[in-house]
Amino acid sequence: MGLEAQLDTLKKRRLIVVTGKGGVGKSLLSVTLGQKLARAGRRTLVLEVDPRENLHPLLGTPPSGGAVVAAGERLYLQNLKPREVADWVVRKQVKIEMLVKRVLDSPVYHRFVDGAPGLREMAILGHALRLLRGETSKAPRLDTVVLDAPATGHGVYLLTAARLYADTIGHGPFAGFAREIADFASDPEQTSVVVVTLAEEMPVQEAIELRGSLIEKHGREPELLVVNGLYPPVTPEDGPLTPLAPTAAVDAESMLALWRRRRAVNERELERLAAELPAPSLKFPLQPMEPGPTLVDALVDLVDAAGGER
Amino acid sequence: MSAKGFPLDLERPDPPLVIAVGSGGVGKTTVAASMGLVSARAGVETLVMTFDPSLRLKDALGVDQASQEEEVQVPLVPAVPEGARGRLFASLLDARRTFDRLVARYAPDDASRDRILTNEYYGHLAGHLGGILEYMAVERLYEVSTQGRYDRIILDTPPTAQAIEFLEAPSRVVSFLESGALKIALRPWFDGKGKLKVASGMGFLGRGIEAFLDRVVGLDLLRDMSEFFLAFEPLFDGFKDRAVEVERLLGSDKALFVLVTGPGEGRVGDSLFFARRLREAGYRLGPVVVNRMHPTYEGPELGPEFADGDSLFRWLGSRHQGGLAELRRRLPGDRVVALPLEADEPTDLSALESLGMRLVERLKAAEAEA
Repeated sequence: MGLEAQLDTLKKRRLIVVTGKGGVGKSLLSVTLGQKLARAGRRTLVLEVDPRENLHPLLGTPPSGGAVVAAGERLYLQNLKPREVADWVVRKQVKIEMLVKRVLDSPVYHRFVDGAPGLREMAILGHALRLLRGETSKAPRLDTVVLDAPATGHGVYLLTAARLYADTIGHGPFAGFAREIADFASDPEQTSVVVVTLAEEMPVQEAIELRGSLIEKHGREPELLVVNGLYPPVTPEDGPLTPLAPTAAVDAESMLALWRRRRAVNERELERLAAELPAPSLKFPLQPMEPGPTLVDALVDLVDAAGGER
Repeated sequence: MSAKGFPLDLERPDPPLVIAVGSGGVGKTTVAASMGLVSARAGVETLVMTFDPSLRLKDALGVDQASQEEEVQVPLVPAVPEGARGRLFASLLDARRTFDRLVARYAPDDASRDRILTNEYYGHLAGHLGGILEYMAVERLYEVSTQGRYDRIILDTPPTAQAIEFLEAPSRVVSFLESGALKIALRPWFDGKGKLKVASGMGFLGRGIEAFLDRVVGLDLLRDMSEFFLAFEPLFDGFKDRAVEVERLLGSDKALFVLVTGPGEGRVGDSLFFARRLREAGYRLGPVVVNRMHPTYEGPELGPEFADGDSLFRWLGSRHQGGLAELRRRLPGDRVVALPLEADEPTDLSALESLGMRLVERLKAAEAEA
């Protein structure tokens, strides 16, 4: 599928999972996609699960503190602390309020949640599903959730965990819900996976491995690849490469040499991606702009242009 | 109380333990490898323990081939004379293998060892328990440091979102593993024959948690978990003792933390946060290394076909330099040094050693000014 068509189909998805190594710009991309979808008419929430709040400065809003916060027309954001995502599971299963509090406060519960691998991952997707179904109180009707996935290196595990629980437990109301989450996450009509990377060796390597994992465990390819931080194209050197003296301030020749070599690295990595990660791709240049609402607007413009919308 | 950082002279054998911390993607592993090379070159028998080196770095260090041995020798180029002190070794941490090996070593007998290693819950736990990678790093560090084979160990840390998670992980995992509360919650489910029995003796609170665990977890998994904990019980104390010992070592004057961070004004807040958390936890902070800094460019305009790069480089250079200056202002008692963005990523041994030498020079310059 071409890029334009892919960007168009993203408007129909309910959940968009944004994955990638730490430091590649997932939060920025999540917010950009969220803003783009909101402007295209989708009521969108950008969700992050992180002890620190990374989304709100990008939209110029106050921190979420766990609540759903309005960030623009049809756009919302929410930050959940990893410790808290699983708590809703208790609320769903243990109906008596007084008992809910006791369970949430109990060290047994905390030990269990800490020790139950995958429960947290499943709870994150479960929370997204509940938001989309309008089952959370105090949240608006939503068309799409963009999930800024935790950068803990287990990107695919986020999608796998629910299936593991469904299979392991097998029966009962919770297994049923785990199965719904698993089915929802693996339905390409409902959920899309976006892989974000830089055009540098290590992030590209991880992106390629992530794609391999997706294929192996879920039989699917990522729907979109986003490459951040590209140096501007530049005429390559025709002479021998001048050795660089890496001092704090450089002259024109050294600067140009650095630029050329960094761009050459980008191009080599872009080729590798084209060969080994055949998804439609968005490529974003390095911008002389602080991360924030202005940069997000500039990126949304770039996405519109790539999608043939301007 | 003004915070005071500690010096680091890689060419001397002290301190014996250097730990590189920092967020993912900042180049920690590269800096750790570089430090290892200069340390070994100076005659200090050194081990670098890595987590997720790039393919090229794996190749350069030779840790790819490590199957039987945990540590491989990294040949310095030019080579160190035969028999001379100052060899470099490198290892790549495999959490699962480390965990399996620990179980095999500390299980009271073959039967319990096998019960644990084949338990399904164990398989899941060993791969996905939050903090397990960090915890295994701690165990491996304990193993290596007690063997006494190296003058210096340089420990890379996992690319977690927060450097401080590495330090908190061992106590989290240990308290989970030895959790008396969890064992009590699990054991009453099954009688001596492994059959489910109605839990009693925990009263109202117990029944609520039991019901929750039943509906959430399901009986097969509970049984697996219960069997795992029963089989694992003799190992708990040992795990805890070792974790305590390593925490003590990390907080001692034998250990020094090097905080590696990314450049730019946007990263200053994170760096200050990590530095503060490290000190609050009682660890000794050595150099703060701002890695991959763009140079500043204040020269003449390059011409219209270079306009993009011109404005970009001026902006990046200024932002990175500004970030460095700000960090130095906010950490006046610390050695904050910068390493430049190299045109080509240092992935071969000679480039890594050059990077290490540059770090040594800048640390000496920072000492002279201190």
